[in-house]
Amino acid sequence: MDGSSPNFSTWVFTLIFLSLMWSCQSATKEESKASIPEEILAPEEATGKFPYRRLSTYGFFEGEMAQLAPNPSLIRYQPASSLFTDYALKSRFAYLPDGQKAILEGEELNLPQGTILVKNFYYPSDFRNPEGERRIIETRLMIHEETGWQAYPYLWNESQTDAVLKVVGSEVVVKYVDSQGEEQLINYLVPNKNQCKSCHNKNETLAPLGVQTKHLNHEIAFKDGSDNQLAHWTKLGKLEGFLGEAAHPSLINYEDKNQALEDRAMAYLDINCSHCHQAEGPASTSGLFLTYGQKDPLKLGVFKTPVAAGKGSGKHTYDIVPGQADASILLHRMNSTEMGVAMPEIGRTSIHAEGVALIREWINQMNYK
Amino acid sequence: MIRSLFLFSLGLLLLSCGSESTEQTYDSSTLRRATLQEVEALVEAFILAEDSSTISIPSGFYDLHTQLILDNKTSVQIKGAGMDQTVLSFRNLKSGGEGVKIVGKEITIENLSIEDAPGDGIKAQHTDGITFRKINVTWTNGDKSKNGTYAIYPVQCKNVLIEECIASHSKDAGIYVGQSEDIVVKNSLAFGNVAGIEIENCDRAEVYGNTARDNAGGILVFNLPGLPKGDGRKTRIYDNDIIDNNHENFATSIGDGPNGNTVTMIPPGSGIVLLAAKEVEIFNNRILRNKTYGVAIASYQVTGFPAKAPNWSPYTSDISLHDNEYDRGSWSSLPDLTRELGQLVSLYNAHGWLKTQDIIYDGIWDESLASSIDSNPMRICIQEPSIKDLRFTRFYLMEGEDNIESFKDYAPFEDCKPSPAGLDSLRILHSKIL
Repeated sequence: MDGSSPNFSTWVFTLIFLSLMWSCQSATKEESKASIPEEILAPEEATGKFPYRRLSTYGFFEGEMAQLAPNPSLIRYQPASSLFTDYALKSRFAYLPDGQKAILEGEELNLPQGTILVKNFYYPSDFRNPEGERRIIETRLMIHEETGWQAYPYLWNESQTDAVLKVVGSEVVVKYVDSQGEEQLINYLVPNKNQCKSCHNKNETLAPLGVQTKHLNHEIAFKDGSDNQLAHWTKLGKLEGFLGEAAHPSLINYEDKNQALEDRAMAYLDINCSHCHQAEGPASTSGLFLTYGQKDPLKLGVFKTPVAAGKGSGKHTYDIVPGQADASILLHRMNSTEMGVAMPEIGRTSIHAEGVALIREWINQMNYK
Repeated sequence: MIRSLFLFSLGLLLLSCGSESTEQTYDSSTLRRATLQEVEALVEAFILAEDSSTISIPSGFYDLHTQLILDNKTSVQIKGAGMDQTVLSFRNLKSGGEGVKIVGKEITIENLSIEDAPGDGIKAQHTDGITFRKINVTWTNGDKSKNGTYAIYPVQCKNVLIEECIASHSKDAGIYVGQSEDIVVKNSLAFGNVAGIEIENCDRAEVYGNTARDNAGGILVFNLPGLPKGDGRKTRIYDNDIIDNNHENFATSIGDGPNGNTVTMIPPGSGIVLLAAKEVEIFNNRILRNKTYGVAIASYQVTGFPAKAPNWSPYTSDISLHDNEYDRGSWSSLPDLTRELGQLVSLYNAHGWLKTQDIIYDGIWDESLASSIDSNPMRICIQEPSIKDLRFTRFYLMEGEDNIESFKDYAPFEDCKPSPAGLDSLRILHSKIL
């Protein structure tokens, strides 16, 4: 039997059901958003016992907090490809304790206990001028504690003077003008602490995502010129085991149109999907594995039926139908904001148009006998 | 063309028989609404929970905007004040694949209700020792197309106990156990779902004392290809009431027909469905008034999907069906015509058009084992005392749609030694869990 072709009786049923049944009322409920009054922040002492209540207590930034000007012990870092988070811009820093080094073994970048990763999420008021006025929404810390990694979300206040630990997460309405000059409104969701692990999850332990060898093994601009990030860390005495760029895996920037389409698509899927969709991630249940090096067509979703996708499947049969992006579940779920359909499950409330365009082109050009 | 006209007129006739349920076990609208502070305190309690602690959730209606996640904890008990007293509503959830998510060891959740999660109601993953007791998971939407996927959803777990739970109105399976080992599902109720209870790619599952009613399909045992856990084995289904599973299949919108989710192909009126299942024993059940068939024994090939994958076989084998009670219901409850499997039964069964069947077998066998099905190469054992009064059909589908045949003869499947579904290991499991 063929599971996909609609037959005559199905059409008949459609007609009849449309005409006779279904008086479905769509109950839309307007949520009124209570604005949280600005808290007066009690002073806090840097005791060395984490997490602090206030972000400022860590002393990461010099001068005015909102400038996010790092103190000299922080190293700026940037993954080759970036995870889409509702178009938020990010500035990222790593702090490695004095006298401690990260160790690079094969692909594994092992960060010493006491390491803190600092990731700030912000929106310029006008994306045509990204260095201009901006609003910082949240700062996420990942701290390598004695018992392993811990994630702590800090929510910035209205006046942008400090951020406060908010383990239960939050919602923030953000307005900005996009790069086309269009006004945008986003209901930005700050994840609750345990949601962090929805992505930062390797075999059910919390793990950094961006700070991995393959994501850092490329050049970025530092104050004193451009350098490979891992080479830079080595020069700072913060890394051991780096054998040169060619000796370690690296990912490309999916935005770089000079790269091959296939590589760009795989880089996009890797940074946006593979934290869950890999053998060690929570979406291993699906059998859909979207890591950069994945070559097995079935694991990549080619002619693969879904397992627990529910309404996420839409009208479609397979995750990827080569040559037919719009009949592919993968694209359908990227191209939706509906809860239960949209992928990734957390981290976005809007559609990443550029990402959808890239994956659409990739599937449409895919050849598979 | 004649067949199409026939289906058309039947479609009209059957419309009046199509059933849909929005029945609710409890009414949560009268409950006191928990304050914003109480809701935040609950979210925080999950986040800050320590090993060997109890999270008590007092009565009230909790309007949650974020997920409740218990992460990597050991020996935690989550306790509500009763299924009718403590209601966790995820109607306003803004992100996340499920309402409640649990990862850890020796976790119990009991005495509460979960409503209206956009994805799955409650999911437990990578948990050794997970007990769901007296939890009610449901959707309250009048329009069921908005409902979530699974109500109670343990996956990649070990030592799973689901007891005295209620799962209703899910768009896929109410109680769904996937890629897990050592499972007991007992004394629970599943109704108004597409599938009532589903055991998928699992080893050693005991399903007993449950009621699966008013679903499109009552109890399903599947093995799907391409998953980290390949074929599952050894499921026993006994002492269950599998009745009136004639609900519409609303896994896709009416008129859309099936998509790639296997459950979308289940015809309304399915009692028990085995698909690529291995070592399943089904006995002492009451399989009543399921309008298409009581029990379907099918291989994965009937889906039409690619049927090759590592550590997995598309064939259903080593099945023992015995001592069940059957009732085909009234003459007016005709088999389904909305799904291909329903059409197969309606038009090609061995007893005449539109006759409800008690037991159907798709008759697909592994030709590398035998040249004919007469030797019963897949070891399908049917020993029903009432077999003479039952409608049994074995199909022949291996030459495609144009050459479908069907047979009443059950003899080849009667005289065989069932390989019981690992009774010894299940006894060990019982003493471990209970």
